[in-house]
Amino acid sequence: MYLDAAEKLDEVRAEERPKAPSAGARWQHFPYSCLLHHGDTCCEIAREWVIANDFAQLNGSDLLSGPRWLRQKYEWGPSPWPMHWCDVVERKVIDCGAHSALAHEVFTARGVTAFRAQFIQSYTADALSQWRTKWVDDKVSDHWIGDDVIYHEGNALLVGEDELKLWDSSAGWWINPRQNGGYGSLAAVRIFADGQWGGGDGFRWGERRIKPNEWTQI
Amino acid sequence: MPIWRRYSDCVEPMKVYVSGLYSGGNPQPGVGIVRSLRQAYPKAELVGVEYSNRVSGIHWNDLDDLWIQRPWDELDLDSYGARVRAALDAGGFWISGSDLEAMWLAALFPDGHDHLLAPPMGALRRITKPAVEAASGLPVKIPTYVSTDHSDWDLHAFCREHNWRVWLKGPYYDAARTPSWDVFEAVRNALSKVWSTERLYLQAHVSGYEESVMLSAYKGELLGAVSMRKREITPEGKTWAGDISEVPDEFMVPLRQMVKELQWTGGGELEMVRDAAGQAWLLEMNPRFPAWVHGSTIAGHNLPALLVQAASGVRAVPAPAQGQEFTRVVLEVPVRPEYPLPPIPEPFAGAIGHSLKHPSGLTSLAKKLHNANPEMLEVVSEEGGPTGLPTIPDTFVDDIESYDFDAVETPQFLFMDSTAAGLFKRAGERSHRLSTNEVQVVSGYSIKTNPDERLIRLALENGFLAEAISLLEVHKALEVGFKPDQVILNGPGKWWPEGMMPKERMHAVFCDSVADLDRTVGAIERGEMSSAHVGVRIRTPNVVSRFGIPLDSPATFRELVAAVKRLPADTAFGVHFHMASSNIGVAQWWHLFESMLKWCRSIEKLSGRTIDILDMGGGWFPDDWHADDDSKFAKAVETIRAMLPNVRQIVSEPGKAMAQPSMALAMRILEIQEHEDDKVEAVVDASIAELPMYFFYPHRMLRKCSETGQLQPLGRGKTHLMGRLCMEHDIVAANVQLPEGTRAGDLLIFCDAGGYDRSMSYVFGRG
Repeated sequence: MYLDAAEKLDEVRAEERPKAPSAGARWQHFPYSCLLHHGDTCCEIAREWVIANDFAQLNGSDLLSGPRWLRQKYEWGPSPWPMHWCDVVERKVIDCGAHSALAHEVFTARGVTAFRAQFIQSYTADALSQWRTKWVDDKVSDHWIGDDVIYHEGNALLVGEDELKLWDSSAGWWINPRQNGGYGSLAAVRIFADGQWGGGDGFRWGERRIKPNEWTQI
Repeated sequence: MPIWRRYSDCVEPMKVYVSGLYSGGNPQPGVGIVRSLRQAYPKAELVGVEYSNRVSGIHWNDLDDLWIQRPWDELDLDSYGARVRAALDAGGFWISGSDLEAMWLAALFPDGHDHLLAPPMGALRRITKPAVEAASGLPVKIPTYVSTDHSDWDLHAFCREHNWRVWLKGPYYDAARTPSWDVFEAVRNALSKVWSTERLYLQAHVSGYEESVMLSAYKGELLGAVSMRKREITPEGKTWAGDISEVPDEFMVPLRQMVKELQWTGGGELEMVRDAAGQAWLLEMNPRFPAWVHGSTIAGHNLPALLVQAASGVRAVPAPAQGQEFTRVVLEVPVRPEYPLPPIPEPFAGAIGHSLKHPSGLTSLAKKLHNANPEMLEVVSEEGGPTGLPTIPDTFVDDIESYDFDAVETPQFLFMDSTAAGLFKRAGERSHRLSTNEVQVVSGYSIKTNPDERLIRLALENGFLAEAISLLEVHKALEVGFKPDQVILNGPGKWWPEGMMPKERMHAVFCDSVADLDRTVGAIERGEMSSAHVGVRIRTPNVVSRFGIPLDSPATFRELVAAVKRLPADTAFGVHFHMASSNIGVAQWWHLFESMLKWCRSIEKLSGRTIDILDMGGGWFPDDWHADDDSKFAKAVETIRAMLPNVRQIVSEPGKAMAQPSMALAMRILEIQEHEDDKVEAVVDASIAELPMYFFYPHRMLRKCSETGQLQPLGRGKTHLMGRLCMEHDIVAANVQLPEGTRAGDLLIFCDAGGYDRSMSYVFGRG
């Protein structure tokens, strides 16, 4: 599913929605972004290139290192959906959904346990206004911009028995688990994962617990 | 629980001397300590101690008074020591913000002083970097290191082993990345000169996030500690912003024990890097508070105040936490009229400005401390200690001694007969051992590394294939006795010179570009050339190289896949991967090897063509290739079989590893010029025209004693060996030690000159 369709789904389901968390309510049922595959060599070449290039870029570093090269190669910005593998690798600018999808692919190819993640982040009205203008100018949906928060996508990496690190793939950094509020801070997170993690208490992220498949307020 | 006095109950005002006020790009902690103490003791008298009025921290307005001394190079340490003692005896407390001053104070007060808030000498000895022996109980590792007392040959090996991701560090301060041998030599010379010692060390780089633990202790009792993660870093790697948190128990418990064992007094900082797997690596422990000390006070942990409180018994005003994060800003402050800014020294012609580094003459203090007690600050102590002399293999000695040097005109390359024969034999045998029923391993001799016929013949006799980069090299191989189907042709110049392409079937041709591949396929179809295998050389991303087909974009990868698909079905396909392991390091080469296999697997999958032949290697340093047992190579063969099961032949090309040890260069000393400070310049009849690789790696050198005929290895010293050319950069070796009695006419032999030294040597200055 891609974002435009997801937005419609979100609208349809809005009436049925139970009381939503304060941050992320607008994206309560929003799915994470997925790249499409033409089922042909065009997309397979692209996918193989991303995976092989990631290993080359690791340069002998630990497999748990963040794939910052993706952010270096692909700027963050508006990108039209749906997007296929063969499209995404040719673009100069991709949005957080595409970044997150690529990062998930390389983490998984490395053999480490990774999950897709959705974030709600706080920003100022000025920042939101700038982004809205940019997305509208590019004729791309700005559904991800809220009143004082944004919807964002990233990745969660398992680094211990139930311990997570959160990778902001379109920024190229790990989100600081010690930060509380403020510009750019994480207001809510949802991690898509199967299984009973942390004996049912969820994943450990810094001092917090995050239950999979539901929005956790930070 | 101690009972603290209130400040107002004190009869005398509290006086605290604080040094280390330098506030430039690599700041000392003095100003931060002063700010923290002012918060805790608003009425205390804070005296700034400095050794230069050029240090900007003396103008900080929290200081009540200043004690400005002359720089360390002018200072009479005995009389100054007496004044410090008097200040402490009079009730003042002293917090040192400088490592070297703390060391001097520890020597001045061998039994300590209740008011000296700095660590004792016994503790300092146990935190000497890089080993930081005292920290053995902490959950940290020490990055691998080696003393520069080792021979240059061994130091080069250390750099290769650690992928040239190494730091050359001074005994007290200063560190620089040395990504190549010429940079290493330049930094070593600079640091040795600044710190008046050859005792430096090389340490492996650890990638990760930087963090520190700061502590405060009094007489072995840990008063407090905080953890700080660097959140912004200056270009010099210094903290610009950070966040503060509690030290976790698993660190705090052994830290408390360490402080007790050391009977630590004063501030301290453990500087660490945490890698991606979460392991902390200890870089060093400083015997003082860090420059970010006030960042901790902002977060509610005023460690200087805890120290003064413990020593004085006077309660500090509690520090409320203002936040857990801090950052720096640049501030302009008024200059104290009693210490107006000093004039700027006259710039040297062509220079820009002047450096503010070490304005207080710390380097002079280092020299004085070192002279007073050379053992006190040994950076790396090793049992038995390295001699600094390289190990010379027996075969080198045998081969050199087989020459009648009375009949040898110098400069002259010496063919190392038994050395060369042994190297080729062992390589051939290794290939045989690694071969299986499914896959044959064969060695390749790169003719360009040294086209000497004797070496090419040894390659032929030991079952090597010949690897050529031009048609002239192909013909050289054929002349020596190789058959065309034992020749591999590669490189961008494979069509040169025109008209010399053999019509007989060669073993393999590897193409350097998609255009080269199309041209090769066309030539084969027209019957202009023939090859059992046709393949491509690939250039993996993230490696600087001008060779091979780049894979750094999806578009080029797509082109490559399409080109491979176009190969005639009856032509066996291959991939060629060459990268000089001596340049990128051994571990990184093996990572590239694995990366290359992943690319190969993708190429197979996407093109539908299987890979029959894999040609890999290039640029191995001889020791890395020959000294290793078979295990790494056997594992590599297994990995290839697992990832590319259709590969039938692996060509292993060690590059200069075969040629480099196979020749030495003999030269004679023409003249010895003695200069001031024991410096010597010896002019030799060789030059960089015979040793063009001098800048890239060290050579093992020998002097043949003219009286005994004995071969004596050369270690480090103060002699420069100057080439015969009238060229400024013609220095064939710097900082070597000529054995006693060396005189003009003596013979020197540079080993390890049989690779590119020989093949790239040129005629110059011979008329």
